[in-house]
Amino acid sequence: MHNLITELNEPSDKTPCIQCGDLITINNRFCNYCGAAQYIAPREAFSYKLMLMKQAGFYYAIDLLVCILAFFDTFHGLSWLICADAIMAFTAVAFFAYDWQRNKEILKWKSFSFIKLLGFCTIAVTAQVLVHYSVNWLNLTVYSKDVSYYSFYASYGYGKILLIMFTAVFPALFEELGYRGYLLQTLSKITDDQQAVYISAFLFAIIHLSLLSLFWLIPFALFLGFIRVREKTIWYGVFFHFCFNLTACLFELL
Amino acid sequence: MDITTNPADGTALCNSCFTKIDLNDQFCNNCGYPLKGTEEEQRIFQSTRVVNEIDMADYKKKLTNAANTLYYLCGIFVVYGLITFFLKKDDDDVLAYVLPNFILAIVFLALGGYTKKKPLACLISGFSLYIIVLVLNAVSSPATLIQGIFVKVIIIGFLVRGIKSAIEVDRIKKENNLA
Repeated sequence: MHNLITELNEPSDKTPCIQCGDLITINNRFCNYCGAAQYIAPREAFSYKLMLMKQAGFYYAIDLLVCILAFFDTFHGLSWLICADAIMAFTAVAFFAYDWQRNKEILKWKSFSFIKLLGFCTIAVTAQVLVHYSVNWLNLTVYSKDVSYYSFYASYGYGKILLIMFTAVFPALFEELGYRGYLLQTLSKITDDQQAVYISAFLFAIIHLSLLSLFWLIPFALFLGFIRVREKTIWYGVFFHFCFNLTACLFELL
Repeated sequence: MDITTNPADGTALCNSCFTKIDLNDQFCNNCGYPLKGTEEEQRIFQSTRVVNEIDMADYKKKLTNAANTLYYLCGIFVVYGLITFFLKKDDDDVLAYVLPNFILAIVFLALGGYTKKKPLACLISGFSLYIIVLVLNAVSSPATLIQGIFVKVIIIGFLVRGIKSAIEVDRIKKENNLA
């Protein structure tokens, strides 16, 4: 795999200095000949990163506001749910599209592998089974309550379809677009990929406004974040999220 | 121009960062010190480096303050949890009131503990969590928003300062190879 000619011209452990072009050892932080730092953080970077953080904060604040309104009585009912989901979906798309040129890369699915997809979906279903029973136990023990997702939709026509749309389809699509899409991309410009995954995962987890659920929300979000970074696409995450939520619905519908 | 030498084996060392240098080099490849520069150039380099080191120390102090704020929040929620427990221990739903406080305490403790390793992640997470807690409390009983507002503003201030410092620390570390 070595190109002999290249190797004769350029020893493989040297690289040109970014300022003067002389060959210096790779990983040297400064050039021996001209002293230039090989990593330059432009002075404007701080205000740019701050701007990005405020932008991400604005996105998060909108989602938070919509989630919090659900606590008020005026906002119960199907029409509000549709409004709320529409607002969050629109916001996710809008913020994602704001930096379209760079963000569109992760909408591609370059390394599609059916085996991987199947694998992820199987993990999703298994994970939901575990989560379902532990959460039910917790609800009973701590709140003496039996929570049902379907009861909200049961009184409407096509209740089962509504349940699946609003619990499995829309969250999978738009939460991935907003959090593993927009938020993770933006955070990656502010800090390294790993911290970006941690931050987006934690923020995603706490916006569900359920402290008890953090025990599964945080690992769930971390997993989605790492898949997105590793596979460089949101689509495995979308299907993983969909299967996870769908299984929760199926527990009640079947 | 006097070159520092390693007392053990006589090899030449950079005057500024004391890593091994080649006598043919114009600049140290570890820190950029002008080995063959004029005394003026070397002096300017050293004073810039000192300024960076002072900045770093300042940012690190702000990060420590922010981490301590997270520990403080942990303590607050432990106290709330204990108070709620003693007030409601004969209630059936005591767990529903007490558990959230202890969960928050554990989360803030963990965030504070990892601030040294992952400053930006922990501080942004801690800050967001705290804001959400404040907002939710305000929703359920608006009067609580004003209670202790002075302390809340200070907490938020420390956390925001910590977040800004975390970004700056990252930049200086990468640019100048400071520990």
